[in-house]
Amino acid sequence: MLDAIITILQVLIFPGVLFAIILALLYEWVERKFKARLQNRIGPLYTGWHGILQPFADIIKLWSKEDIVPAEADKTMFTIAPMLALASQLISFLIIPVVSVYALVHFEGDLALLAFLSTVYLIAAGIGGLSSNNRFSAIGAGRSIIQHVGYEIPLLFVYASAAFIAQSWSLSKIVEYQVKTGVPLIAFLGIGFGISIISLLAFIERIPFDIPEAETEIVAGWLTEFSGKKYAFFWLADDVQLLVGAGITAALFLGGPCGPVPGIPIVDEILYVIYFIIKTVIIVLILASIEASSARYKITQAVSGFWKYLTPLSILQLLIVFALRLYGVI
Amino acid sequence: MPRVLAFLKDFLKNLSKKPATIKYPFEPPSQLPEGFRGKISIDYNKCVGCGLCARVCPAFAIEMVQVGFREVSGKKIPVRKPRVDVGKCLFCAQCAEVCPAKAITLTKKFELASEKKEDLIVQP
Amino acid sequence: MTIRIPVGPQHPALKEPERFIFYVEGEQIVKVIPRIGFNHRGIEKAMEERTYLQDLYISERVCGICSNVHTACYVLLVERLMNMEIPERAKYIRMIVLELERLHSHLLWLGVAFHEIGFDTLFYLVWRDREIVMDLLELISGNRVNYATNTIGGVRRDISEETKHKILKGMKLLLERLKYYRRLSPEEQTIVKRTLGVGPLSTQDAKRLCAAGPTLRASNVKSDVRGDEPYLLYKEAEFQTMVSDLCDVLGRILVRIDECIEAVRIIEWCVKNMPDGPIRQKLPPIFKVPENQAYRRVEAPRGELVYYGVSDGSEKPYRIKIRTPTLANIPALCKMLENQHIADIPIVVASIDPCFSCTDRLVFIDIEKGKKWSCSMPYFKHLIKKKFGR
Repeated sequence: MLDAIITILQVLIFPGVLFAIILALLYEWVERKFKARLQNRIGPLYTGWHGILQPFADIIKLWSKEDIVPAEADKTMFTIAPMLALASQLISFLIIPVVSVYALVHFEGDLALLAFLSTVYLIAAGIGGLSSNNRFSAIGAGRSIIQHVGYEIPLLFVYASAAFIAQSWSLSKIVEYQVKTGVPLIAFLGIGFGISIISLLAFIERIPFDIPEAETEIVAGWLTEFSGKKYAFFWLADDVQLLVGAGITAALFLGGPCGPVPGIPIVDEILYVIYFIIKTVIIVLILASIEASSARYKITQAVSGFWKYLTPLSILQLLIVFALRLYGVI
Repeated sequence: MPRVLAFLKDFLKNLSKKPATIKYPFEPPSQLPEGFRGKISIDYNKCVGCGLCARVCPAFAIEMVQVGFREVSGKKIPVRKPRVDVGKCLFCAQCAEVCPAKAITLTKKFELASEKKEDLIVQP
Repeated sequence: MTIRIPVGPQHPALKEPERFIFYVEGEQIVKVIPRIGFNHRGIEKAMEERTYLQDLYISERVCGICSNVHTACYVLLVERLMNMEIPERAKYIRMIVLELERLHSHLLWLGVAFHEIGFDTLFYLVWRDREIVMDLLELISGNRVNYATNTIGGVRRDISEETKHKILKGMKLLLERLKYYRRLSPEEQTIVKRTLGVGPLSTQDAKRLCAAGPTLRASNVKSDVRGDEPYLLYKEAEFQTMVSDLCDVLGRILVRIDECIEAVRIIEWCVKNMPDGPIRQKLPPIFKVPENQAYRRVEAPRGELVYYGVSDGSEKPYRIKIRTPTLANIPALCKMLENQHIADIPIVVASIDPCFSCTDRLVFIDIEKGKKWSCSMPYFKHLIKKKFGR
């Protein structure tokens, strides 16, 4: 009984849903502030310490807005899409190791589940775009799905390389392998790290791959008709997506939450969380600086770039891993 | 040969620079220059009531209104003075330029938003 | 299957209300139909009802960004109607303000162009550098947007020694930044991807469709009013016309940056060579202009600007006709957009630096019959003939 209550609390509060949402909103602040400084601006300033509460204020404001569903929209689908998007990302967060080597949910093959959940987010975007019955939304949804076709294959090849080294399709097992050998996988997967950063930019739909939401071209893409609470859901989903993406990348290449710890139960866990935050923030900063210093690609350029360069590179990465295994380096 | 992230180096330099933003309503804007053309101000003691400003105003914002009478050799002549609707004003300062008595000046006041229309009227 | 996508009158890619209907096959544009007239303000008519001096300030409001060039063209027109000469020093001051305005207009455009292709950081930084120019303009004229420095017979404000010093200092800073953008813009991979070969306009098409300004010069046509028919002191300043043979959006970006660098050079030349003397010829505030007709053209930041005026001996003009550059560029714009992708719409539309409030003309539309017509040149010729018999 107690175990069940503890599990529920873990899922709902720490390190589950509530923790994920708060951390995601803080990361949004980090990203906004960093980008603002790159652009010689100040960024959020007046809500809390250096505007740290600005993302929270934005969400609360959106929450209090009128809930509008367009008359011509498919109402059921239009309502389901935001929830599906947020739910898929929150579930993904449970699979990422944060407080210990093992995540809250871990089993053989959870890496495949993560890939599947990222597709669920895309499906939510597609449903949202197509059900809102707007030309810009439809174009945005279409672009979103086309882009997914581009980056999913190289990303999965990179996942496969990591899984092959650790001989397991479980994210937690891959982290455990890195703890055991003491070498983060970035040592063998340098190309893979680059590919996954680029794919991550496409996954979270940021410049240069914010093609499905391109503001100047198609208003807000598949998000055009969403407002109020539903938009807040998508906003949160987007932030959690950034956290999840950074978390997966940290776990695969940088050893997740692991680092030198003294071995005292509570202190260890606090240190793990701190390591996790440091590593993911570094990834967020890398993403933000790429985002701040490039222009938006066209959908044709993005997809052909993914197929022409990233897919062959990811296959090369896989071959390198095979070769390393063959010669017994790993 | 195109370079990826060619601008990033320059952008990273901005991290150590002071932001260019002026926190305007919370701190004063940058120094206004001499000769800034803001809200009109009229010195009615200097004004001779010639009406030249009303004739040159391109926005028809200046109107001559009667403020009293003055006696010239036994006859009562109406005295007119300009009344300016700043809501219509273009801030071109042509009125200040033509004023023979130099009674019109343009101040440095530029925060003119108001809840009442009457605040935007300069009258004797 | 052809889909009809309406862009505008309200759309994030357009900063002013205008409507374009795109016929799209997949992601490719097949046909464009522009529809102007959302922002017509009747300025030409308003000018007929005011005196020459009042019209000066009305002409300044034709365009929000290139306001000074409109007054410059207008005062040159009235001075030609009156056969009037202005003092030398006034010419230098006019040129300084004109070129500073060109700098601010081009830098504004550059920022917007980077924003349209999603490069927001450069948008912020270019606009930060533009503040140098804005501050100088405020220092010279007393306002940031409508400078009101030109007047019939000269200029209204003098430039002091201290201001000269500040201008030179600002120009030095700006030149460094401009050279930096000029060097890196054609090298940055994402910018090249989005602009090279996008919105092509061949030299023949540019000539045939009568494009104007940087759009024309980016199609490798050496045409600039400042070089072809020098007004003020452009001949003495040894003005160079900038061209690019790329014939696409990247070419338009590079031509504009080159023009900014040239503008900095002209400003420095003006400041260094400015003679002493009076700045204006005094005129009464309300004056009569003899019966005459004249036209003047100057190079606005967006291209050739034409003013045509008819005076009838009274203190108000009989007719003023304004031809703004964006109007000339719209046919070329429709040509550029053919066979482009939907994603290119914003940057191609922005590449002519459109100013739709200058462009808008009165268009009569019969809603029931779907007929469209507008007042044409023969109609105006007919009116003038009726009035003067010539």
